[in-house]
Amino acid sequence: MYMQFFGNYLLNQGLVSAAALMDALDKQAEVTVSFEALAVNDALVDAAQAEAARAEAEKSGKFIGDVMVEKGFLTQEQVGALLHAPPPGHLLLGQALVEGGHMSAEQFEAALSSYKNQNSIPDADFHNVKDGVIKLLIGKFCEIIESSEASKYITSYLTLLFKNLIRFVGDDFAPLEIKYLRGMVCTRCVAQKINGKFSAVSVIDAEGDALVGFASRFSKETIKAPDEYALACLSEFLNLHNGLYAVNFSNEEGDELELEPQTAYEEYDLEYMENIYIVPVCFTFGTINFIISF
Amino acid sequence: MAVKELKVLICDDSMLIRKQMKESLEKLGVLKVFEAGDGDKAVSKYAETNPDVVFMDIVMPGKTGVDALKDIKSIDPAAKVVIVSSAGTKGNLKEAITAGAFDFVQKPIEEDVLLKMLEKAIKKA
Repeated sequence: MYMQFFGNYLLNQGLVSAAALMDALDKQAEVTVSFEALAVNDALVDAAQAEAARAEAEKSGKFIGDVMVEKGFLTQEQVGALLHAPPPGHLLLGQALVEGGHMSAEQFEAALSSYKNQNSIPDADFHNVKDGVIKLLIGKFCEIIESSEASKYITSYLTLLFKNLIRFVGDDFAPLEIKYLRGMVCTRCVAQKINGKFSAVSVIDAEGDALVGFASRFSKETIKAPDEYALACLSEFLNLHNGLYAVNFSNEEGDELELEPQTAYEEYDLEYMENIYIVPVCFTFGTINFIISF
Repeated sequence: MAVKELKVLICDDSMLIRKQMKESLEKLGVLKVFEAGDGDKAVSKYAETNPDVVFMDIVMPGKTGVDALKDIKSIDPAAKVVIVSSAGTKGNLKEAITAGAFDFVQKPIEEDVLLKMLEKAIKKA
């Protein structure tokens, strides 16, 4: 999930536009990451060692991994591990941003370094997705939520939401900043009430191409119009996510949450709700608003 | 009895789930698939068609899946109703089993799980 939050960081720092980020997310599957970038990312070599090894490899025609072993930078086992591990998403995103002309390689490296420092993420942890680090990132993302019992639940709700988006829809998204509102009216959305120790109204608001794109990905079908069937797909994602949240809640808190039937609305009034948090998530096919209110 | 001889009733308020489950069941070669969009319709459809297996959602408008399960069991104590829910909590599981559910499956449901349920129903027939 680093990639999604790193994308959010790039947007918020004004380092890339939303269009550039979406373009890169769309193309990241087609790019490749150099061996030395993987080694630097894992903090196995520094930039100077990588550059020296690259120059030697180009001169001798040898594989750069072998050059790094000869120079004593890496062991054969480390070379094997780097070759077999899938490239981290944030490196693919960076490569796609650089290849797309949206950032220079130096700008990307500086942004990544600054992001790691701001979030206190050690290099070794950045390569491996670890729950503790994800919680740290989500916690920072959710700083807007005032400290309360509900904030704990919303944080775990959003953590699972991002995992479920990756699992059921795809990883080519970046969450934008959470917005806080008091009362709002949603148009063309699906909603489901959650009752129990954590009582809330969950809503997904999507229209046009964003709705069609989301519905197509989730259903694994080709959906052509933002019609009733597309809304049914959105609705089932919400129901699935809330159901899985209820399972986690039951396991962790020992309390049962009751879900009401999910419903599609052309206009849904949340005017009576005092605390409304909107999480816009920018996908390559458009922006979907996830709303939780209590 | 074989899978190709089975009549199956799907009860879920989501048209996506009904469509995808129906396609999977037809691919598995079941004889007939019936559909219901809520608990009340599930009970009447059961009485009308007498299916061999029912796949039932819990959270639905009107009568819940567990209430529909109880009604179906009162019509036919031997009914094989598999509860299919995204909220596979201990509480829901306990309630469904107490009401006489044949099995309980967590969504999203895969084709191999559907087949496993059908085969289990055949063995218990």
